[in-house]
Amino acid sequence: MSRLFLGLLVALLVALSAASGSPAAAPQRVISLSPTATESLFAIGAGKQVVAVDDQSDYPKQAPRTTLSGFTPNVEAIAGYRPDLVVVSYDPNGLVATLRGLGIRVVVQDAAKTLDEAYAQIRQLGSLTGHAKQAGALVAKMRKRIWELVSAGTQRARGLTVYHELGPDLYSVTSNTFIGKVYGLFGLKNIADAADTGGTGYPKLSAEYVVSESPDIVVLADIACCGQSPRTVAARPGWRSVAAVRTGTIVRIDDSIASRWGPRIVNFVRAVAAALAHIRK
Amino acid sequence: MSALALEQVTVELGGRAVVDGVSLAVEPGEWVTLIGPNGAGKTTLLRAVAGLVGHGGRITLDGQGLSQLGRREVARRVAVVPQVPLMPTGMTVHEYVLLGRTPYVSYLGRESRRDVTAAGQALARLDLGDLAGRQLGTLSGGERQRAVLARALAQEASLLLLDEPTSALDAGRQQEALELIDALRLDAGLTVLAAMHDLTLAGQYASRLLLLSNARIVAQGAPAEVLTEPLIAEHYGARVRVLDGLAVVPVRPL
Amino acid sequence: MSGRLWVVGAAAFLAAALLTGALVGPVHIGLGAALESVGARLPFLHIDTPLTQTQESILWDIRLPRVVLGALVGAMLAVAGASYQGVFRNPLADPYLLGVAAGAGLGATIALVYLPNGVDFQKVLPPAAFLGGAVAVAAAYAIGRSAGRGSGGATLVLAGVTVASFFTAVQTFVQQQHSDTLQQVYAWILGRLPSSGWTDVKILLPYAAVATAGILLHRRLLDVLSVGDEEAASLGVNVGRVRLVVVLCATVGTAAAVAVSGLIGFVGIIVPHAIRLVAGPSYRLLLPLSVLFGAGFLVLADVIARTALSPAELPIGVVTAFFGAPFFAVVLRTSRRMASL
Repeated sequence: MSRLFLGLLVALLVALSAASGSPAAAPQRVISLSPTATESLFAIGAGKQVVAVDDQSDYPKQAPRTTLSGFTPNVEAIAGYRPDLVVVSYDPNGLVATLRGLGIRVVVQDAAKTLDEAYAQIRQLGSLTGHAKQAGALVAKMRKRIWELVSAGTQRARGLTVYHELGPDLYSVTSNTFIGKVYGLFGLKNIADAADTGGTGYPKLSAEYVVSESPDIVVLADIACCGQSPRTVAARPGWRSVAAVRTGTIVRIDDSIASRWGPRIVNFVRAVAAALAHIRK
Repeated sequence: MSALALEQVTVELGGRAVVDGVSLAVEPGEWVTLIGPNGAGKTTLLRAVAGLVGHGGRITLDGQGLSQLGRREVARRVAVVPQVPLMPTGMTVHEYVLLGRTPYVSYLGRESRRDVTAAGQALARLDLGDLAGRQLGTLSGGERQRAVLARALAQEASLLLLDEPTSALDAGRQQEALELIDALRLDAGLTVLAAMHDLTLAGQYASRLLLLSNARIVAQGAPAEVLTEPLIAEHYGARVRVLDGLAVVPVRPL
Repeated sequence: MSGRLWVVGAAAFLAAALLTGALVGPVHIGLGAALESVGARLPFLHIDTPLTQTQESILWDIRLPRVVLGALVGAMLAVAGASYQGVFRNPLADPYLLGVAAGAGLGATIALVYLPNGVDFQKVLPPAAFLGGAVAVAAAYAIGRSAGRGSGGATLVLAGVTVASFFTAVQTFVQQQHSDTLQQVYAWILGRLPSSGWTDVKILLPYAAVATAGILLHRRLLDVLSVGDEEAASLGVNVGRVRLVVVLCATVGTAAAVAVSGLIGFVGIIVPHAIRLVAGPSYRLLLPLSVLFGAGFLVLADVIARTALSPAELPIGVVTAFFGAPFFAVVLRTSRRMASL
């Protein structure tokens, strides 16, 4: 009799522990209003649970893109999808409070400032959607890949300078930003650092400063928005003498890759590593 | 040939005939004054003569049709002294009087020596020599009136149109201004057509009066003929007594 | 102080501003070296430039074109503002009055949003902004005329305000639909003197030269207009034609300036008013002085924009606004002179 009782107890405990981790508890109607979160959700295998993503979420292609906006959200439209989880990167006009008031679960994942924060966000999405294991695996893969690329690149990067361009008006990023930290991983010196006396992280540089600094690598993040390319950069008056133009080390980065902090960070790191390989050939 | 002749002139504003079939003639050197109640059409008539508003009928200056003359040519023959001239406070008297030479300066050109001389003469005639460098905003009412007259004089126009030249002035300045205009008329051979409210003053300075009422001329002639109690009562709706054929005195109803 | 003296003074001010602009910047180039560099480019002197290739490039390809552009834009905006104030007898008129700013902004936004892939932003913006500005002013004119004549400039101004509000609303709507372009549009709206070499100077120069000449030729007539439309007409002036020509010149010139440099505000108001306060309201003097002082003012504002956060830059619209606000306070207090408009 006591053995049966023990067996039932064990079975009950097993059933309970299984239930707490069972997929039935995970949200099935997820809305993502953050392009970064969208990428992460699909990368960890939670894509089937996503019913709608915002108008800026253009990757991956199979994400169910709608006209919902992450900047000027319409609460009714969001609620109309009957979501059981909404992920946002930005909280305009008390959106979060309103949605929570409607009984909808909201998670805010704003722009990561470090790689660790980015990894933490991916893991959080994993545990929320019942894909904790895949999230963990993805993060580990990203870490490994980045580490490989950085170690190979650090030697080459010694003593080199970089200029990251956000717009043809010469808006740049300093080492205090997420993107800036990636350059820092390689040990590259960012010419925008000396220029950021305002401390914004996003200074507008003067052309003569950039030309006189003659950065070894120029990274263009203003290709899609503003039609910039290695050709237009080389054509700018005075830029012929810039090192990156002379060696042809002008990196094109997809605007969206440069502005998100999701799984495709690895692509960005890879592009920088490739540029370094190109210079040191 | 009349200095100014109107034949069946009509002016419509806002669908209404504000001047209706008016015919009149003013001889060179004459002083003719238009009188009449508010809204009778006096100001509009003056504007039509100055070419500032379109008209039906015919207006001639020294025998030439107004419509045939260009804007500048009209400005060389007709000078307007408005009821409330817009006087930019920062402009000097000299600059203001020089504006009178505008019809003589080519479109994109500058004033010539002749223009500057003419302006200087106008200033002297109106006794404004000392005030030439003063800004318009610092002048008294009487001085401003003289400045406007000087500008009109500088235009060297033979026909002077005056719209209520005395309404903003005190009794002394009123007399001064009208004496001045009369003197100018005799000196420079000007023809004067004025619109006035003050019936007594109108009678004192004009050789002929035209009573304009409801867009039409209802009486014209020497002041004594037009300034009669029945006419004034009928068209102004005012009770007056006319003394010595010239002084119009309002009478209070008992 | 006589008019001639003022003009000489203004020219000296402009020369000093240009010199300052040419010599100041994150990269140090001394006066002597700069002069030698200029000498090296003159045909008969046989001077060698002491500057490195990079420094030469910075001086001649980046800094000088920018300074010259600043002078052109500043001159154009100031004289356009002054001429609007004269034509509309309104002290608050500025070169953007008839909707040029809103139209150019909308043109720029549309170009940015619908920019075909691979097309350079810098090449597309100026014509788009110019077109937008021109359409806005044409619309203001059409609306103003259809509302009937006789009210002088007031109807036209109201029409301009209407058009500006409408175009701004459309622009805001388009921006919201394409929020990813917000940063670029905003940067353009704040105004900047781009470092795009002599191209922009060459684009702007013919428009600015013709427009400025057109306006300056009418300065005597603007003085005549100050006694009102009726009196000016009685003095033989074709008021409608003068207004049309001056507005056309001022607007085309402003549209071209805006197309190249974005919306730099306050120049068209500050400069003419400051000149009025010290040199009097006569347009005969005000307009030429506006050209010279406007040019110098913007060049100096750009120097500040380039040096305040050096080597980072401030958008120049921020600098002019920074001086504009306190300036208005000063102008309002000296209302005695203001009444002279």
